[in-house]
Amino acid sequence: MRECRSGPGGERNDDSGQEFTKHYNLERESIPIEPTTVDGDCMTSATATDRHFSLAPSSPLAPFLAALEEQFGCLVEPPQEVIRTYYDSFDWRLLDGGGRLWHEQEGRESRLFWSGSVQIEWRQRGAVPRFSWDFPHNAMRSMIAPLLEMRALLPQVKLHLTRHIIRILDQEQKTVVRICLEENRVAVPHGEEGSVLPLAVRLEILPLRGYQEESAALHRWLTTLPYLHKSAPDLLEEALAVTGEVAGSYSPKLHFHFTPEMSARQAACEIHRFLLAVMESNLAGVQGDIDSEFLHDFRVAMRRTRSALGQIKGVFDPERVAHFAQRFAWLGQITGPTRDMDVYLLGYCDYRDRLPKPLRSDLDPLRDFLIAHQRQEQRQLAKQLEGSEFQQLLTEWRDFLTHEASHDGGPTLGEVVDRRIDRLYRKVIKEGKAINDHTPAEALHELRKRCKKLRYMMEFFQSLYPAPEISRLIREIKRLLDHLGEHQDLEVQAEKLRHFAHQMAAEGEVSADTFLAMGMLVGDLLRQQQQKREDFYQQFSSFAERRNRRLLNDLVTQRGELT
Amino acid sequence: MRVIGVYNIKGGVGKTSTAVNLAHLAAESGLRVLIWDLDPQAATTYYFRVQAKVRGGSKKMVRGKSELGDLIKGSDYPNLDLLPADFSYRKLDLLLDDSKHPTSQLSRLLDPLGCEFDLVILDSPPSISLLSENIFHVAEALLIPTIPTTLSLRTLEQLYDFLHKQQLQSLQRLPFFSMADRRKTMHQEMMQQLPRKYPEFLTSWIPYASDIERMGIHREPVTAFGRNTLAGRAYQRLWEEVIGRLRLRVKG
Ligand SMILES: Nc1ncnc2c1ncn2[C@@H]1O[C@H](COP(=O)(O)OP(=O)(O)O)[C@@H](O)[C@H]1O
Ligand SMILES: [Mg+2]
Repeated sequence: MRECRSGPGGERNDDSGQEFTKHYNLERESIPIEPTTVDGDCMTSATATDRHFSLAPSSPLAPFLAALEEQFGCLVEPPQEVIRTYYDSFDWRLLDGGGRLWHEQEGRESRLFWSGSVQIEWRQRGAVPRFSWDFPHNAMRSMIAPLLEMRALLPQVKLHLTRHIIRILDQEQKTVVRICLEENRVAVPHGEEGSVLPLAVRLEILPLRGYQEESAALHRWLTTLPYLHKSAPDLLEEALAVTGEVAGSYSPKLHFHFTPEMSARQAACEIHRFLLAVMESNLAGVQGDIDSEFLHDFRVAMRRTRSALGQIKGVFDPERVAHFAQRFAWLGQITGPTRDMDVYLLGYCDYRDRLPKPLRSDLDPLRDFLIAHQRQEQRQLAKQLEGSEFQQLLTEWRDFLTHEASHDGGPTLGEVVDRRIDRLYRKVIKEGKAINDHTPAEALHELRKRCKKLRYMMEFFQSLYPAPEISRLIREIKRLLDHLGEHQDLEVQAEKLRHFAHQMAAEGEVSADTFLAMGMLVGDLLRQQQQKREDFYQQFSSFAERRNRRLLNDLVTQRGELT
Repeated sequence: MRVIGVYNIKGGVGKTSTAVNLAHLAAESGLRVLIWDLDPQAATTYYFRVQAKVRGGSKKMVRGKSELGDLIKGSDYPNLDLLPADFSYRKLDLLLDDSKHPTSQLSRLLDPLGCEFDLVILDSPPSISLLSENIFHVAEALLIPTIPTTLSLRTLEQLYDFLHKQQLQSLQRLPFFSMADRRKTMHQEMMQQLPRKYPEFLTSWIPYASDIERMGIHREPVTAFGRNTLAGRAYQRLWEEVIGRLRLRVKG
């Protein structure tokens, strides 16, 4: 990974923007992975699982403790009360990536744990970091950063643990093995303060070095107890199961299961309702400015909504469609400026890295400008989203979908979709073929719009087509879209940067060095855009090759032939 | 891994008490600590309630057949492990003499444990022997408990002489007063005189305290059962001074 360190002038002194700088990694650095102790965080390999037991939920604890005391000499230490909070992003990226991050508070002792391919424990002071770049450069950060990316950590599940350490003693009253016994409760999500649900009692054998035989004896004895399970469920999974929460229940990805015979209206309603739910799930995060991804997901769902409105033809009343199309276009407008600023800030390190090292700090005023304007736009956006105009759109749209979903009739999905995809594809091929080296950039932008519509249609209705074929075509169009997207983004960014330069000049004193640095950046972006432009022909040819065209043609016509 | 020896030519001066309590405090401060009971009297082993090995261990160890790590016992305290005494240490000198590099045998034995422990504390038997020479070679510093008497002055001189002759100047010396009784005039005088002659004397000292004797009844470090007693606090001050002198990196 390249380094992007802020130079001596890189530290902001006024705290006005401080809070906001944290939303983006503006100080990207390479992250060293240290296998051993790093500044108080230490890493060990995964612990053995066969030391874990759990008590059947209905069985009481007292008989077990009595049996234990009868069998072994033991000493029970005073219980420890621990509050354990699992942290993850809104969309559970850490869990998806095979890791868990939790915080434990025991009295004044505060520690963070990472459990994945390795176990890391970090004695951390103060609040749990919100973004991966808020962590010090320790091993934990190097595990979390690639999974979490730009997302914020949120407290997801809160547990109350009562931990009893039971020591098994020999004749000398020397501890030879310990048992960690936990009585756990999970806080009811969105429940009243203090309302909890019980979890299974769990046991872990903690062997002591040099006393393997004693551990083995305890293990043997525990396995003879009928009311003990020889394993303990994963604590997080158990807690989620008990509260009925589903980790990763939020996903903006499309997974529809449609059939060609179903009503196109019903399918459209299902798509729109799903997209509306995505927007609604992200709304609080957008308003609270928790991280930039909320707005991103919100806007993707909104764009898909607009596309579906336009492309699934003949199912709703055209007048209503026109009305909602206009309302969602408005929503696109009011959310755009904040997203733009987010994009510049997220890509800020890449901008810096484009410049020669000595010039990088010249760009700092641009960063400050972006931060200030992101904040402004964000504030305005939050206000808009609270306003009656947006609230009314939500209600109207929800009511409309409920109403539409309640009656049948109209064309079947197969008819509508095959025709639409066929049409869009033909247009894409035709428009793309018409582009040569002298065509204005506008044509490429138009082509991109068309491709996006096609892509969304294919994604909405994947389930109508054989999987390998449709996946291949989606992959192809995504590749072309990425190319067109980069081409357009580079142009927009270069244009925007020039615009920012004028705005910065108007807003206050900015040194000529900053403008020169920005100028270099603009040049670099445009050069890269030119490169993309030159590569277009090859990209498009590969997309439009005969094999793909025939594949699509087969997909959209097979139904007619079969029936 | 840092290695400290607790040593004095004389017995009964507080070596074992020092080793046990400092090891406990070091482990509490977050260091991964190994205390090695090199005295066949096995007092350290007894304080930690571990049974001393009766036979065989040391012979195999020096011959390189057995891993030192296999003999380690976890203590009742987190981060603190013990290498128990082995009654056959009596013959250890003979065995060490057998080998090619007789004074670096402890070093060789400890090497493989380098990444498991941050600090090793050696509790040694009195007298100068091949074993103590091994201790001088492997340790970076010697903690020397010294009772403030004229006799102690002589034994300290003897030790320094020996270290000088053996060219062991690089071994740090950390003498400190042990079992000191301010009511005794001789103790008072020696506590004035000795640091003038030996400026490396630590300023913290361990008073004569019955709580330390009671460690034998409790079978626990006084820093565990009587943290805030006079003795407990004295050991804490001593430990803090050792941290400073040796620039030990303790967490938290
Ligand atoms: N500061 C002290 N005050 C009172 N008694 C002590 C003190 N230090 C050690 N003792 C006692 O003196 C005896 C010898 O101490 P020990 O630490 O075993 O010395 P060594 O290891 O040098 O032989 C033990 O009974 C111990 O309890
Ligand atoms: Mg002793």
